[in-house]
Amino acid sequence: MESQGGAGDRELMARLAAGDRDALAPLMGRHYRRLYRIALSYLRQPDDALDVVQEAFVKAFQSASRWDGSAEAGPWLARITVNLSIDRWRRNRRRVQTFTPLAESDHAVSLADLGPSPDRRLEGREAGERVAAALRELPDRQRAVVVLRHYQDMSLAEIAQTLGMSLGTVKSSLHRALGRMRTVLAGERA
Amino acid sequence: MIFAHLRRRRLLSLLAAGALEGREREETLAHAASCPRCRDGLDELRAVVAAMETDPLREAEPGMPLAFLVARVEREVEAALVPGERPRWWLVALPAAAAVLAVAVIVPVIVARFRPPTEAARAAIPPAEASPLLTEDALARIERNLAREHAVRYLSEAGEVLVSVAATSVDCDRAEERLDVGEAPERSRQLLEQRAMVVRQGGEAVASARGVLDDVEMALREVADLPSCVERRDVERVRQEVERRQLLMRIRLMTRELEG
Repeated sequence: MESQGGAGDRELMARLAAGDRDALAPLMGRHYRRLYRIALSYLRQPDDALDVVQEAFVKAFQSASRWDGSAEAGPWLARITVNLSIDRWRRNRRRVQTFTPLAESDHAVSLADLGPSPDRRLEGREAGERVAAALRELPDRQRAVVVLRHYQDMSLAEIAQTLGMSLGTVKSSLHRALGRMRTVLAGERA
Repeated sequence: MIFAHLRRRRLLSLLAAGALEGREREETLAHAASCPRCRDGLDELRAVVAAMETDPLREAEPGMPLAFLVARVEREVEAALVPGERPRWWLVALPAAAAVLAVAVIVPVIVARFRPPTEAARAAIPPAEASPLLTEDALARIERNLAREHAVRYLSEAGEVLVSVAATSVDCDRAEERLDVGEAPERSRQLLEQRAMVVRQGGEAVASARGVLDDVEMALREVADLPSCVERRDVERVRQEVERRQLLMRIRLMTRELEG
């Protein structure tokens, strides 16, 4: 996580709430990478993920006046990003019923930074495609719980705060989601 | 016994997810050790988690520099604040200012030539320099402000064009790895036509912007030469040029300076 919140975020959010557009760039600098990874893990399409991050910051600017000053900006921004990712996912699903996995060119940027071994990269990519197939089978909110837990390493309490769920709902969602993914991945191996 | 077993099965998922701690974790581990079916289940759940941990997307970097993303967001925010396309008000304001200038300078001259004022009227009419409309200072101020506004608009639009090219990700020919830059080349050509007027009209008022204007011109010339469907490397070249010259940041700083 690039930012743990704190005075910096609060000050920037307060400036945004006052309509100060100059606060956007530093706030984006602190959070955009993390939000991009949330959106990308959810949508698995780099272009869609960038669009979502852009939309999230526009929305953050427009909603800043309604931001609760005592809350952390990080979870608030993550929540906007997850909700926008879910919206985008639903729209894409309606538009294209078939899933399009990441193309080779789409992988170029991310895979280039992963490590020196081509075998390792290939292994990683295959794992990614298997995971993508399993994630695709999950309902929207379960998918969000899995993404925040296993791609953002959030605690269950943080996930509950980010998604506005009870802790019990987060636990049962995670249980069901992993069970479903296990079935899908086991089916692939069979 | 059966309920306890079912509860443990649910906890196995949380154990695999690394979300159990303390006594609950120990008890679930002990249960898995005593139940072969549960142990197999736990192994499979751990494999699911491991697959996610090796997913390359965990560490993926955004395929767009922060500066471009900021520019895109700022553009969206501005568009939302000002619905519809902003009018190019200087196109109206410049002729209007010229008209004011003509009325202010020429009419008194004509009046003075053809209808010499009486002593009383002469006393009543203030000298031209005393009128706010007629003072050279006021006129110079108007011209200066117009020139600066014009330069701000020009730089802002140029920035938008450069961002639209450098940040494009729309394929127009996927097989050939070509990207769509839309109307950016045409808009660049239009902007380049305006540049001379910005500099000529601006004079001293925009003197501090000359460096940025020159670099923006070079970047716009590159874009103006592109077709609307370009090779990825052309887009990359524009992006690198914009980054190397820090054009977006400099445009933003300069527009702020010109806006005062």
